[in-house]
Amino acid sequence: MRRIVVVGNGIAGLTACDSLRSAGFDGELTVVGAEAHHPYSRPALSKALLHDDDGLTAHELPEPTHEATELLGVSAAGLDPDARIVQLDTGDELPYDGLVIASGSRARRLAAGPRHDGSSRELTLRTIEDAVTLKQRVAARPSVIVVGGGPLGMEAASGCLHLGCEVTLVSDAKPLSRQLGDHLSDMFTAAAARRGLRFVSGGRARLVDTGAGTRVALANGTELETELVVTAVGDEPNIDWLAGSGLLVDGALRADSRGRVRPDIVAAGDVTLFPTRRGLVRVPLWTSAIDQARAAAAGLLHGDAAPELDFQPYFWTEGFGLSLKSIGFTPVAGAPDYCEPGADPESVLMRWADEDGSGTAAAVNYRIPIPKLRRLANTGPETICPAEAATL
Amino acid sequence: MRIELDRPRCEGHGLCEEAAPLLMHLDDDGELVIDVPKVDGTDLDAAKAAVRVCPVAALRLAER
Repeated sequence: MRRIVVVGNGIAGLTACDSLRSAGFDGELTVVGAEAHHPYSRPALSKALLHDDDGLTAHELPEPTHEATELLGVSAAGLDPDARIVQLDTGDELPYDGLVIASGSRARRLAAGPRHDGSSRELTLRTIEDAVTLKQRVAARPSVIVVGGGPLGMEAASGCLHLGCEVTLVSDAKPLSRQLGDHLSDMFTAAAARRGLRFVSGGRARLVDTGAGTRVALANGTELETELVVTAVGDEPNIDWLAGSGLLVDGALRADSRGRVRPDIVAAGDVTLFPTRRGLVRVPLWTSAIDQARAAAAGLLHGDAAPELDFQPYFWTEGFGLSLKSIGFTPVAGAPDYCEPGADPESVLMRWADEDGSGTAAAVNYRIPIPKLRRLANTGPETICPAEAATL
Repeated sequence: MRIELDRPRCEGHGLCEEAAPLLMHLDDDGELVIDVPKVDGTDLDAAKAAVRVCPVAALRLAER
């Protein structure tokens, strides 16, 4: 394999490039990135809101060292897998021997498109430009409606609230319950309510233009006025450029346990479904992108000889004075099977047991080495603190 | 090269430790300890991997 093209320059594309080099690939490496920047940390963007000063540096990753040819601000527009050619939106074509698909995903939007004058009804939080715009808009302390009760919506709501805005969270389900389960959802919603977050649910939300701005209309007839709408209603994989490639199955990209779509094409990150213990799913998380990209790089170079990915989620979120780190699959059902309070009242370490013997561990405001949290998830409390486990 | 830590930025995710367990670890309080700050040769790849996985860019590699 002499020429490898990586489509996508987020953390998955970057990790794929690094992993290919670490594995000894010294051929021609080209990475195509739709964004005009070097890769940066998306998880850090929601936090960047909170910084009053320059603030927008926490997302910056070190300069790449993979020595790939970087085509930044360029998107893939098509793929011919038989001719092994990626078509670019510049009209150029990139031939390859091996291809890494890491084109990521984009924010799903509530409104179909911008207003007639080109302005947007909603802000999203996906790119560095989104974060800068949101930071500028929030600086004037507008009233804010955040639509979406997932981790990103809650982080955005927490940031806006912290900056002194009046914030309403519109969510169909109890916030974070779909992602984390009721127990953790209760902890975060209670903390958010104490800090003044207002919750509204009323079915599917849509955005309605008014003279001055935007109104959020819910399926049950509720209409909410606000100065700023932030939507965090999920993401959509960037697979449009693969439409004519024949690679999509039921409109989705699927990779195997070594990241392969076919022997000369691998996929990693937010763009693709991949097999996990919870089935064939898309897991748009930072560590998921990294783990998948490492597996995919090996899968592309070594085929069946590469190790299979046995993915275990690592997830974190922060907001309303709570910091959560969890290892294992979520949502978790019911109350934890193991619970150890920490030093302060909101500090707690928890574990939920799975039927297969492993489990999910979560630390809220509880400083713990992550390898230890992983041991707690995998093998239970006996392995991390024998004395306390014996007294249970 | 030298591994440098921006401690206030570190959130204790420990992804660096998992990438380079011989070079750094989180102590019992979840604070990162750089065990081998000066790296070269084979350590350098592990150090680069550790620096890269940090979602809050708390680690960097400096010359010298």
